Amino acid sequence: MVVNTTHDTIKTDPILNVQSIDVAYGSVRVLHEVSLQVFAGELVSICGINGAGKSTTLKTIAGVLKPQSGQIVFRGQDITGKNAEKTHRLGIALVPEGREIFPSLTVAENLRIGAFGRYDAKRYAQDLEDIFELFPILKERYNQAGGLLSGGEQQMLAIARALVSRPDLLMMDEPSLGLAPAMVDLIFELIETLKNRGITILLVEQNAERALKIADRAYLLSTGYIKFAGRPEDMSETIDITSVYLGDGEGGF
Amino acid sequence: MNTASRKPSASRKPALSSFSKLSTPAILIVVLIAVDFFAWWLNIPFVEDIFTVGTIYLVMVLGFQLFMGNSGILNWSYAGYIAIGAFASAILSMEPVDKLKYIPVMYPFLVNLHMPFPLALLLGALFSALVAAIIAWPLMRLTDSVGAITQFALLIVINVILSQWQEVTNGPRTFTLGQSRTTSLGVALFVAVLAIIVVFWFKESSLGIKLRASRDDRYAARSSGINIIATRYLAYISSAFIGAIGGGLYSHYIVSITAAAFYMNQVFVLLTMLVIGGSMSVSGAFFGTVLITLAQQGLRQVEMYLTVHGYIDASGTTEIALGILMILFLMVLPNGVTGGREVALRIRSRVREKPKEDSVETV
Repeated sequence: MVVNTTHDTIKTDPILNVQSIDVAYGSVRVLHEVSLQVFAGELVSICGINGAGKSTTLKTIAGVLKPQSGQIVFRGQDITGKNAEKTHRLGIALVPEGREIFPSLTVAENLRIGAFGRYDAKRYAQDLEDIFELFPILKERYNQAGGLLSGGEQQMLAIARALVSRPDLLMMDEPSLGLAPAMVDLIFELIETLKNRGITILLVEQNAERALKIADRAYLLSTGYIKFAGRPEDMSETIDITSVYLGDGEGGF
Repeated sequence: MNTASRKPSASRKPALSSFSKLSTPAILIVVLIAVDFFAWWLNIPFVEDIFTVGTIYLVMVLGFQLFMGNSGILNWSYAGYIAIGAFASAILSMEPVDKLKYIPVMYPFLVNLHMPFPLALLLGALFSALVAAIIAWPLMRLTDSVGAITQFALLIVINVILSQWQEVTNGPRTFTLGQSRTTSLGVALFVAVLAIIVVFWFKESSLGIKLRASRDDRYAARSSGINIIATRYLAYISSAFIGAIGGGLYSHYIVSITAAAFYMNQVFVLLTMLVIGGSMSVSGAFFGTVLITLAQQGLRQVEMYLTVHGYIDASGTTEIALGILMILFLMVLPNGVTGGREVALRIRSRVREKPKEDSVETV
């Protein structure tokens, strides 16, 4: 496979190109030759049941885990095996599963952490106004400790923190997990808003129905293998999703 | 004054918060000046002595808070840096004649060093920070119990070196500075005010935010692009510097010191002050120092009264009582009397109604 290693990426080149990565936890192999591409401005969704390897895929791209083989190219640069600090600086922001905000820091401080690495105070102030427009609640709670926010508010804070770093690729790991239905609606609306603003998003969701509705393209992961790649409409035609999901669909048990 | 800066804030404008943030060091400084001024005004040597030592301890506890409070790592070796600062500044400020008299075995090149007290204090602290900078890098990877044990081992190493290196510290014997006290209540107060400003500024700086983020969640901090080791390293060195300033003030007040004075006992006292005040805030370091200084003196009076009047031999009761106090606090109020918050003034504005139907958590 030919890899484009030049920096002046042509528009048709993917912003993120993952090429047949293998990942294992100890001796247990979780990803088998997973390949996926994300193009600029796209919303790509990875679907699959628990344990399919969705989070592992995101963590590997973000540099939290290292692949045993394969290659990850981001904006023409090989980032395989680079750690999370470096990938963050290169423009990959991961909103981790379980809303990993900093509970003892205030909302203001949590947001500032997202903006570290850029010292453009004026643009940060602008971005903050933007963020407050998207998440008015964060303005109200600006000086409160992050740990005092509700689950949904924490999720918004986690997304906001990722956004102020002005990422070239925003990866979200199960953003709707564990939230009340009204809050789930709000989060999905928000993801659509972000997509309409031209932000490139790689979304992992168990709530496949909702995720596929807003995605441009989708991948289906099953026990570590890519079972499908293509347009979301085609996914339901080619594959019997219910058989993969075993009845899961609304997120209920 | 209230400690509720993290309760739901009625303010909508972030601008208000910068006022209430700045009010924290202002309140602490005003309280400290008032307390020390009162002690000076009373003009009782015994009281002034208590408050001078208390103010010097405040400098040490503030430096302790800077690293431990923000990183969450129990830093046993801190007393080692206090000791290095105490000895280094004493060696630099002593008259060569006094050195020959009190520490005859001292290296000749050390005997000839002599400079004014403020410069000696500063250079002594810089030397201590340099030692920290040389040792600390690999230790900054360690967290939790492994980190604490390593720091503990480091304290022992520093202590053994200081208590055996006769040519520098007079070994296990007393190191007498041979001069009248250079540190006065006023000097200690001046340095403590600076320390409050520096430690508070550090906590709010980007470095402080990064360090606190790494305390909350190491993995999330790393994936937010924070270099945890470098962050801890800089904080550790700064902490050693402030501790050494405290050590220098101490040696120039007590005038005769031994390495044994800066060992586990001292870490324990500093730790009690910080934990009971609340290690996560500068206000905690402040009020913990005030409370424990007063409690120590009160207990010591009781101890002396009981022993002198022959009821029981109560010596050592103070340490036991403080130990029990610390255990009780860790059980009931693990975040100390301040609950890890800062004292702050808040301007009251309209109280916000709660529009909260959207934020229900299910799992």
